[in-house]
Amino acid sequence: MQVQSMFFKQRASEKLGDELLQGNMRKAKGKFVDGRAKAVAEFGVWEEVRSHAAKVRDRALANLDAYLLEFEANATRRGAVVHWAETAEEACAIIVGIARANGVRKAAKSKSMVSEEVNLNEALEAAGVEVIETDLGEYILQLAHEPPSHIVAPAVHKSKEQVAELFVKAHGKPRLTEIPAMTREAREALRGHFLGADMGISGSNFVIAETGTTLTVTNEGNADMVTTLPRIHVVITGIEKVIGTLEDFATLIRLLPRSAIGQTVTNYLTLTTGLKMPDEADGPEQMHIVLVDAGRTKLVGGPMQEMLRCIRCGACMNHCPVYQNVGGHAYGWVYPGPMGSILTPVYVGLENAGDLPNAATFCHECAVACPVKIPLPELMRKLREQQFDRKLRPWPERLAIAAWAFAVKRPALYAFLSGIGARVAKWMGGREGLIHSLPGLDGWTKGRDMPAPAGRTFRELYRQRSLERR
Amino acid sequence: MKVGLFVTCLVDLSRPGIGFAALKLLEGAGCEVVVPETQTCCGQPGYNSGGREIAKALARKVLAEFRDCDYVVAPSGSCSGQMKVATVHDLFQGEPDLPEFEALAAKWYELSQFLVEVLKVDAVPGKFEGTVTYHDSCSGLRELGVKMQPRYLLQMAGAKIAEMEGAERCCGFGGTFSIKLGEISTRMCENKCESIRATGAGAIVGGDLGCLLNIEGRLRRTGDKETKVLHFAQVIAGEG
Amino acid sequence: MGARENILARIRRAQGRPGGEPTAAERAAVREAIARHEVGPQPPFAHAPDRLAQFRKECDRLGTTHAQVASERDVPAEVARYLAANGLEPRLAGWGEFAGLDWAGAGIAFDNRPARGDDRTGLTGCFCAIAETGTVLLLSAPATPKVTALLPETHVCVVRTSRLVDTMEDSFALVRAEVGDPPRAVFFVSGPSRTADIEQTIVIGAHGPYRVHVILL
Repeated sequence: MQVQSMFFKQRASEKLGDELLQGNMRKAKGKFVDGRAKAVAEFGVWEEVRSHAAKVRDRALANLDAYLLEFEANATRRGAVVHWAETAEEACAIIVGIARANGVRKAAKSKSMVSEEVNLNEALEAAGVEVIETDLGEYILQLAHEPPSHIVAPAVHKSKEQVAELFVKAHGKPRLTEIPAMTREAREALRGHFLGADMGISGSNFVIAETGTTLTVTNEGNADMVTTLPRIHVVITGIEKVIGTLEDFATLIRLLPRSAIGQTVTNYLTLTTGLKMPDEADGPEQMHIVLVDAGRTKLVGGPMQEMLRCIRCGACMNHCPVYQNVGGHAYGWVYPGPMGSILTPVYVGLENAGDLPNAATFCHECAVACPVKIPLPELMRKLREQQFDRKLRPWPERLAIAAWAFAVKRPALYAFLSGIGARVAKWMGGREGLIHSLPGLDGWTKGRDMPAPAGRTFRELYRQRSLERR
Repeated sequence: MKVGLFVTCLVDLSRPGIGFAALKLLEGAGCEVVVPETQTCCGQPGYNSGGREIAKALARKVLAEFRDCDYVVAPSGSCSGQMKVATVHDLFQGEPDLPEFEALAAKWYELSQFLVEVLKVDAVPGKFEGTVTYHDSCSGLRELGVKMQPRYLLQMAGAKIAEMEGAERCCGFGGTFSIKLGEISTRMCENKCESIRATGAGAIVGGDLGCLLNIEGRLRRTGDKETKVLHFAQVIAGEG
Repeated sequence: MGARENILARIRRAQGRPGGEPTAAERAAVREAIARHEVGPQPPFAHAPDRLAQFRKECDRLGTTHAQVASERDVPAEVARYLAANGLEPRLAGWGEFAGLDWAGAGIAFDNRPARGDDRTGLTGCFCAIAETGTVLLLSAPATPKVTALLPETHVCVVRTSRLVDTMEDSFALVRAEVGDPPRAVFFVSGPSRTADIEQTIVIGAHGPYRVHVILL
């Protein structure tokens, strides 16, 4: 996916003005948040499990190289081929190479954010491979030629009417009005692709070092088709996804669906390890696992390593008031919301995504919701610190902060300036005490008045009171 | 007991009445209140803009100003979060003056928490007739656990509370966010104002002036000249 | 140097460890940590006094129907009842372990083979079942093909209550004890397939079964 994150402000503005999108977002709002709240409330030991989950993620990240090799050794022992990709391009080249070597014509894919990150579909299509997205949301977006706007519910920004329109065009059948009928039509359209694909491509929510296992977590069952039916199974995932044991997985999977959508468990969880046995009816004959770096090692070992704990549940964006209002596409890359506001600048460069770490009020809803206790606001602040140190913010902003910092450290000067400021601003507010427009602060005054100050500062009045009392 | 009042820069500049309301409440409860004259700001605007050193310099300044107080009280959850949480958990981690900031954090209170948890007040001077709705500001709520304290005090003053939908949702202020990403900020504030209007309350009350100026600015811009926008200190001190 | 070596070296550099690859001691430490198989905190309801009741409760929540029979001999009659009650044709593709039951007597055509894309009902057993989440666990093997649980619109699963465990961790312990390495597919099924990708409206029956019926014995 092309990075558009440098245009966050403009894109957000468009999204705020898009009535259709706003209506669709309003419908979605609350469902995820309420579902999660209910699931957490009935769980009983949420904080304990959360802490343990953070610990098991940290444990693997602290010795990431050794855990990866353990995973590689066990996966290889079971017959998988483990590939390593430093960049998006390398990841695509590896998978295109596998497709070419095996004469692959059609690939069925289950949802993988890493594949979105590296533009895998485009690479395969350029190599003559037909790629079919099989997660219903991803399928809808493939028909619409749009990127996902949410990492768990990719088509959350679409209404059923919009989906019906896409299906009429793609399936050539009469327009449907009911969601169950649309779902059945998609099922029927995709069934043939599952059975006819040469290659199945999936992500892997975690990879388990102990056993060399990759895995999929879905409600639809599409990932199970993808990992079971085609003769070649390709897994593409990030190097940070490694965990130690099956028990670690059991801990994390208690948190993932609850955090994502308030479900206690997803309908399907499949641990895949190795190949079809000679007398088995199903299963792939080849399994390839592509471990992708593409920026992840920039987070390793540094002050933001905690970000690599992320289990891609989407709770941070579901709870983010900024995301709720602008939607995922405004963020301009694969990962939206708070987690995206950290990952995008790190992966594609802070200079290409400068507004993202600033697109937060630090309300801390994301930090509270995160199942693996990533201090998301603190990490966004660290990116702001990098912007500050590297002078990446616009000059008027830097000048304003420098001027403020100069004054605020000098009490006498500050008292003088704030005294004048209070008087001038009171005058500007006129009789109603409201300032309708302020030079340099139109970000505020375009949509809000600025309530005018009372006219004299607290310190002046307090000094006066002290004098009177004497 | 000697209580330092951290007025906050916004109250100083814009709504000194909130500072005097806090003063009245503290003095009324028998505290000896000192207001260091050189105080300016807790440093949060610098901190959240990535200016770590500015934030540290200001935190040290605050520390020096309030060193000899038994307690420090601020009519703001946001500034209190800066001095109680950011200093200890981030800014001075691994630095020699960490213990001093830990001591400052331990004696620093947001006003409603101080009144309820330390002074354990059972009466307030203010009398308020009518219904208010309360906006939970993010820092106070999620960093400090300010939730029931201001409501308890408001009820003590006679106010009825009509809870709004999403009282804990951010109003969109976020300090410099409100200017840098003004359009999103305005939309978030409009959502908050919709929730406020739906309660039919005559006043929206909160504990952080930044949020209150944001909400007031949006209410007035959209034609609401009636709904009062008040800090809880004003209500319970009877200065609203 | 290849990508693998570069990535490993970058990780080590960033985390302040010398050399290009983990040392033998580091590898051994990781294996030791893994071998502990530390079990994390579990929710109180995961260890319900009545394991079967907990399993049933979670099945209900997931939309998995269930029925109890006295013995394996009663399975065909229960399947026949279930299919008739749901207006489904009395034919299924089933795992070989059930081929010897009296299907003809129950009026059901039993195809002893893995299910195909056009089969309407699949009958499977399971390796074990998990009470905490109302889950059945299937292990892939020649005699226990996963497709039978996946492709048909209806999945009927026979669960022996003696194979009911509390938690996923317990199921892993059972796999280690009885099988060793996990087989190719360790398949946890918790209710019929579903999606909420259009307007967050839950629809039962996405790509997998529309119905999951558990027969407890």
